Amino acid sequence: MSDTPSHGPVKSIMPKWVRGPQDFVGGIALIAIALFALWASSDLQGMHGFSFGAGTAPRMFAVLLLGLGIAVMVVGLVAGGPHLATYAWRGPLFVSLSILSFAVTIRPLGLVLSAFASFMISALGTPETRWKETIIVGICLTIGCSLLFPYALGLPMQLFPRFLVQ
Amino acid sequence: MVELFHNLALGFGVAFSPINLLLCLIGALVGTLVGVLPGIGTIATVAMLLPITFGLPPVGALIMLAGIYYGAQYGGSTTSILVNIPGEATSVVTTLDGFQMAKQGRAGPALAIAAIGSFFAGCVATVLIAVLGAPLTKLALAFGPAEYFSLMVLGLIFATVLAKGSVLKAIAMIVFGLLLSMVGSDIETGASRMAFNVPELADGLGFATVAMGVFGFAEIIRNLDAGAEMDRHLVQQKITGLMPTKKDLIDSTPAIIRGTILGSILGILPGGGAVIASFAAYTFEKKIAKDPSRFGRGAIEGVAAPESANNAAAQTSFIPLLTLGIPPNAVMALMVGAMTIHGIVPGPQVMQKQPELVWGMIASMWIGNLMLIIINLPLVGIWVRLLRVPYRLMFPSIVIFCAIGIYSINNAPVDVILAGAFGLLGYWLIKHDFEPAPLLLGMVLGPLMEENLRRALLISRGDWSVFLTRPLSAALMAMAAFLLVLALLPSLRKKRDEVFVESET
Repeated sequence: MSDTPSHGPVKSIMPKWVRGPQDFVGGIALIAIALFALWASSDLQGMHGFSFGAGTAPRMFAVLLLGLGIAVMVVGLVAGGPHLATYAWRGPLFVSLSILSFAVTIRPLGLVLSAFASFMISALGTPETRWKETIIVGICLTIGCSLLFPYALGLPMQLFPRFLVQ
Repeated sequence: MVELFHNLALGFGVAFSPINLLLCLIGALVGTLVGVLPGIGTIATVAMLLPITFGLPPVGALIMLAGIYYGAQYGGSTTSILVNIPGEATSVVTTLDGFQMAKQGRAGPALAIAAIGSFFAGCVATVLIAVLGAPLTKLALAFGPAEYFSLMVLGLIFATVLAKGSVLKAIAMIVFGLLLSMVGSDIETGASRMAFNVPELADGLGFATVAMGVFGFAEIIRNLDAGAEMDRHLVQQKITGLMPTKKDLIDSTPAIIRGTILGSILGILPGGGAVIASFAAYTFEKKIAKDPSRFGRGAIEGVAAPESANNAAAQTSFIPLLTLGIPPNAVMALMVGAMTIHGIVPGPQVMQKQPELVWGMIASMWIGNLMLIIINLPLVGIWVRLLRVPYRLMFPSIVIFCAIGIYSINNAPVDVILAGAFGLLGYWLIKHDFEPAPLLLGMVLGPLMEENLRRALLISRGDWSVFLTRPLSAALMAMAAFLLVLALLPSLRKKRDEVFVESET
């Protein structure tokens, strides 16, 4: 459970000839995105005559991104740059889980349960959480949101689980 | 001239209706409330609060959004000054002297001067919009597709030149944004592009979804990385004397005026005007100061000038949006998103067809500014108390609020998941020093660029030189090329880095 960021000299997993690992990896990722976009738009129609097809602009931007990705990668190769940043796992994991749980439960379980559950899950994202106050704040926030969104703002939203309402 | 007064009178007539005043007030209050939360910048605030304006009539909704925008911006200045966390790029320079002032126990005067400077700048900019709006609309008639395309290229180049890190990476982010904007149905053929048969993607990725992910969720995750917590403890618990002294006022008046002028001019240019305005104003003040060493150690001019400049620029940046329909920055891009949701297509036609909407919004910007001064100065104490709420309680609340907000836009759970995915993407981008703001701008301009490029090439019968043979378009392209070369030149880059290095210490 240790996610304290290490401030000491970071050991790079990159080979020595990569002088700016941050840009190097960033560039590679851009290249991957561009290739993916090229593949995804490969079934679209291209230019016919003077006019653009549906696939012309996406492919154009993808090729541009490919070039820029290569440029960023090359910069990472030749120019010295920062090391890869250390990632924390706890924050991203639980915040994502919380968002996911909200998306999955909002329809069947309604706002009250779903918001409260997600609140508790995202609270796991930091080791500083003190459960008693978190539960109290969670309850207050859930009540607040249940009043704000469906009533004050008039948005169509189900409050309670579907099987209870029916 | 008569027309000018007529227009402003029309605007104030609309904005002063009790319901619109109330909406503006609520917007400014809520905007400040959310904008003050650390790690939530202006863009994220506007994105988060966008859903609450959906139920309103178009004029009311836009007026409320204008209120939210100003509130958020002021909230951002508040966090810059009190906790050294700039909400957005525009308030980065404010942290330099603002936070130092706060450390010296002079947070009150710093906040007050920021508000007063913003208000003054807002007054000037409002008049400027009223004066320039109509003539510029006529200029828009001279714009064909080629000119529009070139102008957008110029705007995007502008945005990259001003971005913080490497120009190359900023351009890459813009292109990435352009690429993301291609997802969804093609406007002309209706073909589904890169949507992978996901019905929610058929209409493309929503701006609000991407903005909330990349700015909202990503910031939360990043703040959880620890480190962000440290500076928060530095907040001075005591805020003595809210009002600035006479000397403060005398010192800051010329700075406010200079900042306003710089900001108004730079804001009209497409592409992140507000950011360059605040930096330019700060650098300018430092250059002409008798004792430049005071800057960075709590000089009140260092707060007054950039705050006035970014507010003036924020306001005049409505000009390209209203006259040409081109959003000059990410926040304006969200405004376009809001307008389209209400069935309004920004551009020269809006000014003629719905004058009450345009002028009502302009008037309400001024009112929003006024409200910030009236409401927020007495409420500074409350905002400060809000900042003392520990982050461990704050962040789950923000997560839930964002999640509900995104869900409510289309009642689509998939949107929430997408925003989460973009949150992780945004976190990765931050970790690799890619700036998310150009990405959002690219995403908004993407469809517009594609449409105008298509039309321009269709008209020219496939001849690409059309962008260089039409004089106006050629001039815009030349400016873009010139800027790009300037940005890549080593000497200027060094200077630019200097400004940013200062901002980090």
